[in-house]
Amino acid sequence: MHEDSAAPRLAVLGNRPPAFSSPLPVGQLNFPSWEKYEQNFRAIFERQYYTNQGPLTEELEAKLADRLGTRHAICVTNATLGLIMTAQALGIEGKVILPPFTFIASAQSLLWAGLSPVFCDIDPATHHLDPTRLTELLDRNPVSAVLAVNLWGGSCNPPLLTDICKARHIPIYFDSAQAFGCKVAGRPVGGFGEAEVFSLHATKILSAGEGGCISTNNDELAEKLRNIRSSYGVRRPVEVTKTANGRMSEAQAAMALMNLEDFDDLAARNRNQHEQYRKQLADLPGIRVIEPHGVDVSNYQYLICEIDPPSFGLDRNTLHQALRAENILARRYFSPGAHRCPPFDTLPSAAGQDALLATDALSQRVLQLPLGARVDSTAIETICALLCEFHRHAPRIAAHCKDAR
Amino acid sequence: MIAVQAKRQATDLAILGGSALFDRPRSTSNLVRPDIETFLAYSRQFFEAGQLTNGGPLVTELERRLAEFHRVEHCVSFSSGFWALALTMQHLALPGRREVIMPSLTYRRMADIAAWAGLTARFCDVDRRSLALTPETVAPHIGPDTALILGVHPVINCCDAPGLEQLADRHEIPLLFDSVESVYETIDGRKTGSFGQAECFSLHASKLINGFEGGYLTTNNTALATHLSYRRAFGFTSQDTVSDLGTNAKLNEMHAAMALSGLDDIADQVERNRERYRAYQRAFRNIDGIRLLPFDENERCSFKNIVIELTEAWPIERIRTLEILNAERILARAYYDPPLHRKKTAYPTIPASLPNTDYLSPRFVLMPCGHLVDTNDIQAIADLMRFISENAATINRERG
Repeated sequence: MHEDSAAPRLAVLGNRPPAFSSPLPVGQLNFPSWEKYEQNFRAIFERQYYTNQGPLTEELEAKLADRLGTRHAICVTNATLGLIMTAQALGIEGKVILPPFTFIASAQSLLWAGLSPVFCDIDPATHHLDPTRLTELLDRNPVSAVLAVNLWGGSCNPPLLTDICKARHIPIYFDSAQAFGCKVAGRPVGGFGEAEVFSLHATKILSAGEGGCISTNNDELAEKLRNIRSSYGVRRPVEVTKTANGRMSEAQAAMALMNLEDFDDLAARNRNQHEQYRKQLADLPGIRVIEPHGVDVSNYQYLICEIDPPSFGLDRNTLHQALRAENILARRYFSPGAHRCPPFDTLPSAAGQDALLATDALSQRVLQLPLGARVDSTAIETICALLCEFHRHAPRIAAHCKDAR
Repeated sequence: MIAVQAKRQATDLAILGGSALFDRPRSTSNLVRPDIETFLAYSRQFFEAGQLTNGGPLVTELERRLAEFHRVEHCVSFSSGFWALALTMQHLALPGRREVIMPSLTYRRMADIAAWAGLTARFCDVDRRSLALTPETVAPHIGPDTALILGVHPVINCCDAPGLEQLADRHEIPLLFDSVESVYETIDGRKTGSFGQAECFSLHASKLINGFEGGYLTTNNTALATHLSYRRAFGFTSQDTVSDLGTNAKLNEMHAAMALSGLDDIADQVERNRERYRAYQRAFRNIDGIRLLPFDENERCSFKNIVIELTEAWPIERIRTLEILNAERILARAYYDPPLHRKKTAYPTIPASLPNTDYLSPRFVLMPCGHLVDTNDIQAIADLMRFISENAATINRERG
């Protein structure tokens, strides 16, 4: 292995401006056309119905239930609140198992609902909850529910996990924030377990700006959720522990409906971008694009790769730094794991639990690259070419970054 | 033109089989509609920035403008007033203590908010004249477990915020104001926003500033503002560092665009509200058994809410009066019923004996107000109230 003697010109080395003149974020960031936006909001202003389960929210819920193949789709302010509301509506108490390799909100939702998280490690090959470990943990630790997480446009194998929980009479529900539009064995993600919670955040394929949707086939649970959300949109009053004010506005619903019209195009674009990355990085050592796991249809909304420092020549953090210097706002999702973040690092329920070695190792290796509305094939080509450059000049970059520290 | 069905005899009332007075509902929600072109111009900004949330240009601008409006150092926006209150209560509560003192005659979800914050509501009484909690009604409830005092402004005029500040200072208890209905008001000439440790407001469509949904906090306490701006966004203090238990309570850019458009129009809106209030004053002047709650015009008022008291001279029970009005598509509502100390909850609250609240809670009615109500509607509502009063005997008999 040799390094070119000529000094490479790279932003991270401080000898040239960033490759991108403005920052490139990683999220989907899908927007409808301005014309469509204007038309929809003029209509809202004409109708003068702004929130409280208005006609657009009703329409969105009907369309989402149809697409997800569930009896109910309940739209809410955001997915975090959706998770909190679902935990509360399930009436569970005590401990709930979830993977630590997830967005922090999954774990936070449990604390807001008065529950104690118990972390179960992931399978490093799939990035998802390890079914074997889950079974072991369930057999020696009484818990009241499992919150499984679907990541990266893939799935945690919901049919298998549902069976494991069903055999033990424990409810399972899913954080499917990243899984809208995915299918497992021909079935849309959305109908597994007691309920699934989707994110309609701007960084997701279906954006309401902020927003969330809870899908379920359980009529009783659905009614509890509607009662917890607020009195509007309630079909039948039922007793709930406490309300949560989780309404979705007509503005959010309008945005989601507009993006839903474009869904097939957005999914196709994502797939193309994902494929381009995969092809262009195929021969680059030490960087592996993660294929959506356990689904037969993916939304391909995230480009996640795993870095192997010895073969790539740089560790993930240094590579992250080099990318950011080029105005590529790559993200270290999820680093650190939820179990290492306050207050979960000191929770009594976490004491004495197994070391979460797979999560700890993976959280040092993952990197999310831009994929979505803000990149095109030229940008992806530039990003991939830069990654090749970084690999080629890895020792010099590593030395430079070490000195800078 | 309004579609008003004149009533000639008791059986013309909708509740007795007649046609409803209004073709579409007249509600107690403000539903103010800002100028669409202004809203679209603001929207252009987040379109151009390509940012719909996570601290976009309009949320930043809204927070700056609201801080200026309330003459405070900081404004932190939230997805709703509900979660603004929950997070702020949790932050301000004295560690190791559980009780939050709040009026019972208030927003029906208030004890739920305290429960989300991990606190227990301890209800206090209100003053019969102002309908507000006072230093005198709060003081007896202060004890070793008092974590926080929640000063809630009533929907007409304000509570004695300076008096509550003195009480809270004396006992070294944090004081938070729910100022949801007092965006525009002054207290002794000083704008709401800077009283106590913090004040919380709502941007719900029914409120003075319509942001579709939303809420905000105002404070001069930098640590509080900084901390809550992290906690509303999962507790991230830097891109990959979570420092505390957070949640998602972020306001999005569309809602911020709406709130900014409303803020641009607020002085004009208050003028329109004043006209409606004047119309109520004229139309309701001589109806036996009805007292229109007056705004204290020595202070700045939003004139948004309209509340009437049904006195002993009013011949029909409030609950029945509301049924009659609702059938006419007048969505008048009880203010407030039941009061919180009379509600059963799945979480604990502290039982209290609150004679003034019990006396007041069956007496008041929130009347239609806001953007979708005009002066002709108000006259028609007043005529209907007179008609109801004149036909009370028949109505009571028919419904008995």
